[in-house]
Amino acid sequence: MIVFRIDGRSAIPPYLQIVQQVKHALRLGMIEPGDQLPTIKQVVADVAINPNTVLKAYRDLERDGLVEGRAGVGTFVLKRPDGPPPPLLAQLRRSLDRWLRSAFDAGLDPESIESLFESGLRDSLSEEEDTA
Amino acid sequence: MIWLTWRQHRAQALATLIGLGAIGVFSLITGPRIAAAFRELHTCLVVPGQDCGLLHESFDRRFNGLQFVIPLYMVVPLLMGVFLGAPLIAREVEQGTHRLAWTQSVTRGRWALTKIGLVAAFTVAATALFAWMVTIWSAPLVAASGDRFGFGVFDLRGIVPIAYALFAVALGTALGASIRKTLPAMAATLGAFAAVRVAVELLLRPRYLPSQTISYSFLQQSPRFGLGDWVLSSRVFDPTGRFVSPDGSITVSPSALAHVCPGVTRGVAFPDKDQVGRCLGQLGVRFVDTYQPGGRYWLFQGIESAIFLSAAAGLIVLAVWLIRRRIS
Amino acid sequence: MNTLALEATSLGRRYGKTWALQDCSLSLPTARVVALVGPNGAGKTTLLHLATGLLQPTSGSIHVLGERPGADPEILGRVGFVAQEMPLYRSFTVAEMLRFGGELNPTWDRSLAVDRLESLSIPFSQKVGTLSGGQRGQVSLAIALAKRPELLLLDEPLASLDPLARRDFLAALMESVAEHRVSIVLSSHLVSDLERVCDHLVVLRNGRVAVDGDIGGLVRSHRLVSGPRHTGALAGVGEVIDRTDTDRQTVALVRTVGPILDPAWTVREVDLEEIVLGYLGGREGSNAPADPTLRAVRPAPSEVGS
Repeated sequence: MIVFRIDGRSAIPPYLQIVQQVKHALRLGMIEPGDQLPTIKQVVADVAINPNTVLKAYRDLERDGLVEGRAGVGTFVLKRPDGPPPPLLAQLRRSLDRWLRSAFDAGLDPESIESLFESGLRDSLSEEEDTA
Repeated sequence: MIWLTWRQHRAQALATLIGLGAIGVFSLITGPRIAAAFRELHTCLVVPGQDCGLLHESFDRRFNGLQFVIPLYMVVPLLMGVFLGAPLIAREVEQGTHRLAWTQSVTRGRWALTKIGLVAAFTVAATALFAWMVTIWSAPLVAASGDRFGFGVFDLRGIVPIAYALFAVALGTALGASIRKTLPAMAATLGAFAAVRVAVELLLRPRYLPSQTISYSFLQQSPRFGLGDWVLSSRVFDPTGRFVSPDGSITVSPSALAHVCPGVTRGVAFPDKDQVGRCLGQLGVRFVDTYQPGGRYWLFQGIESAIFLSAAAGLIVLAVWLIRRRIS
Repeated sequence: MNTLALEATSLGRRYGKTWALQDCSLSLPTARVVALVGPNGAGKTTLLHLATGLLQPTSGSIHVLGERPGADPEILGRVGFVAQEMPLYRSFTVAEMLRFGGELNPTWDRSLAVDRLESLSIPFSQKVGTLSGGQRGQVSLAIALAKRPELLLLDEPLASLDPLARRDFLAALMESVAEHRVSIVLSSHLVSDLERVCDHLVVLRNGRVAVDGDIGGLVRSHRLVSGPRHTGALAGVGEVIDRTDTDRQTVALVRTVGPILDPAWTVREVDLEEIVLGYLGGREGSNAPADPTLRAVRPAPSEVGS
């Protein structure tokens, strides 16, 4: 049974952290298709967060086709998340390296690069949240 | 709520029962001896004309020491008011538990009436038992003295102790609901109860019904002797009706006496008391007693009880009103 | 059946000459966890006491679950309350406290309380006065929950708890929300604790409502803008809630009605604590007067963040 941990200081909203932790656990094989996810009650007993947060996370996962909610029984894993195909990953990595080189050339220090990255990530995440 | 009320006031209830037990044990130990000694005295008294003075004196001497119970027994209603009535509401509010009790599924009014009702019922039962024990235990003593109305006698016997106790508890409850702190409420209850008791006893009780008077010679014993009257005053008047002394005693100078009753003082430094009395009686000096007839004893018990019981009822209504409208 | 959990209309309560609460209007929907926030003396306890029937209004009205608070045993049974300092009968054992609850509540679910306290290893035969603060909190909560209320009000339940006890208390509260769909209103100073747990925010200031809205909507509709020092009113940033001017810089909490286009402004999101502080207007070091137009804020349905 996976255990969730919410980082209150992270820019990532709690429900997304749960979604990510489920996907992460699936990728690593900690849970398998057919396993039951912790009930909302179990999650909030462990991590004191609003049950609606967990509900939203599970609904997101259900919408992505990774889990299935069965009324009165629980939420069950359907399949592993598709990772990006290796060529796409390599391509993304190369464009990241290029971007980093331009940033260093422009004179940015590692901390500025990090904060630039974080604000960009946050903005794009909140866009995603608004359209969710 | 019966269990809850008991559990909250368990300590006071147990203390009361232990106190009653102690009184019971004391009464059982000393009671039969008193009764036996009195039977001896009684067999003498019923024979007309016999002088039982010596027996009477020895009876009194023997049991005079028991007078210590009077102040102890007198505070019983006060103790109930102070330790059961005052903390009833005051402690609940002082500790904030009223915010727990009044947000369950019982309205404040019902909570208050149930709690007060149960405590009142316990008070009535406990003091009824107390009054019964004291009445029976003291019966021989009262018969020997012929006095049912005296201080410490009227207040401890019959039904008035029950009314006092209920009044004390109601007073404590109302003061507790008003003051909302336990110790000040207890102090206020003590003061207020004592004041009311003293006021009623000294000012009201002699006036429940119009008193009667009787006049008799200085020589005689009152014709109403032995009827258990409550003598409010016994004054001395001279033959012309002039008030001479307020308390049945007269001070006379020997020279004045010699003038009026020659032969009484001749050659004697201290005239004989009886001779002086006979002289004054022959002159027409009289006693005038103001009294309440002994037969009114139960009437007076009833009136005084009614006063305290109706005051108790009023105070309970006040307490419930304070709880419902004035506390948060 | 869509009664509001709590509805107040121009609610006011006066003590002598002081108004502890005035002109409060609130509409709190059911199935929410509501944070009631404000400094000491803002009126939080007064509002909760009015909602439980411990106090009567001086003006206006309040209804919980559509009924007048404390009016009859039925509504008393549907609303649970944990008062400040979590009063319990100190000389009672835990078991006796549960018996107390059972005697005074017809809808008493004893097994709920027993299971909950057993799972926390709280000994039933121990006197409540000798329990730790966290354990007493759990006992108070168990008693309030075991009567199966539809609405549960809590007055500063976290105030005297250490961080671990706070988390356990909130976890227990959230479990009951998940399981029984209780509506919850809890007051607190500690805004950070409440952010993960609450989805609706009410801010009280000086006895009035400064904010009443869904937390998600509030976070989305407010931004912190900073830029070079401005004098006078700020244009193009929506409604200014709170503002700080230094000799070089102006920083303001704003409620946006559209995207902020002026590139002079750096815009970032705010968290719950910053929203609360902004509406309370007590930002330290502020040398501009706090925005005087504090008023109830209800995010319009059409609002969208920038």
